[in-house]
Amino acid sequence: MMGRRMASAVSFLAPQFDDIEQQKGASKLGIWIFLATEILFFGVLFAAYTLTRVQHPAAFAAGSRLTNVTLASINTAVLLTSSLTMALGVHAAQCGARRALVGWLSLTVGLGIAFLAVKGIEYRIDYVEHLVPKINFQYPGEQGGAVELFFYLYFVVTGVHALHVLIGVTVICVMAVMASKGVFRSDYFTPVDVTALYWHLVDIIWLFVYPVLYLVSRS
Amino acid sequence: MNWLAEKTIRTYLISWLALLTLLAVTLASAYLPLGVFNAAINLTVSVTQAAIVLLFSMHLRSAHPTLRIVAASGFVGIAILIALSLSDVLTR
Repeated sequence: MMGRRMASAVSFLAPQFDDIEQQKGASKLGIWIFLATEILFFGVLFAAYTLTRVQHPAAFAAGSRLTNVTLASINTAVLLTSSLTMALGVHAAQCGARRALVGWLSLTVGLGIAFLAVKGIEYRIDYVEHLVPKINFQYPGEQGGAVELFFYLYFVVTGVHALHVLIGVTVICVMAVMASKGVFRSDYFTPVDVTALYWHLVDIIWLFVYPVLYLVSRS
Repeated sequence: MNWLAEKTIRTYLISWLALLTLLAVTLASAYLPLGVFNAAINLTVSVTQAAIVLLFSMHLRSAHPTLRIVAASGFVGIAILIALSLSDVLTR
């Protein structure tokens, strides 16, 4: 029994690594370097937002008031909860609980899809309210151009974020299938671990997107 | 092992409750007329929430220092980018 388990753990070891620990360390370093580039990628959008907002504070306040704060708040809670289910999934993997792992991963996928569905409803409302730049943007007051700039940023930031959620959902689906086939064990679950780190980062990015787009000047 | 498992699950549940509470705080504060402090509270809450996710869900609290440095590098890079860009726009 012990011999079999050790043999199976060794079979996950790629030839370039000395042992499982070194392989795991390399995977973690790799994903964190990737996540740092993701932070830079979204950070540039936040920098563009900050500079534009400093130049057009009133227009950004007006634009933000036109966004749907109720749906966005629900979505924030959905994403925070999906981060919890993902963390519990990693924990289940660590304990070697296969069915629990599949369950938590499936729940995370469900919450990710719910987030995207709410986002879709929000985009539809934005379209109906003539808030989509270049397609049907209309703003009656002054500073219409600057308000349109706000909505350019709104669609680029939320769109790119939604794409990340979609990629995350897809990868977590793959993890759930692998888990159900019994690929992971308590001594080998690095792919689940790495996927969870990506998912948590997508969550963190939303935690900054939410206030800067939806909560400006609500009072 | 069982004790450790229970402790881990409790940590995740407490951070989840803290994150949802902070969401309520940031949303409610946005409806109070606080001037510049609205943005300050929103940003402080976001940073706190991010710290909770990074430290507990993403295990940076117990991670190797190399990973912590890599994780910090992205945020530091963005802070420099925004600070230097603002130093241009705000002093024109």
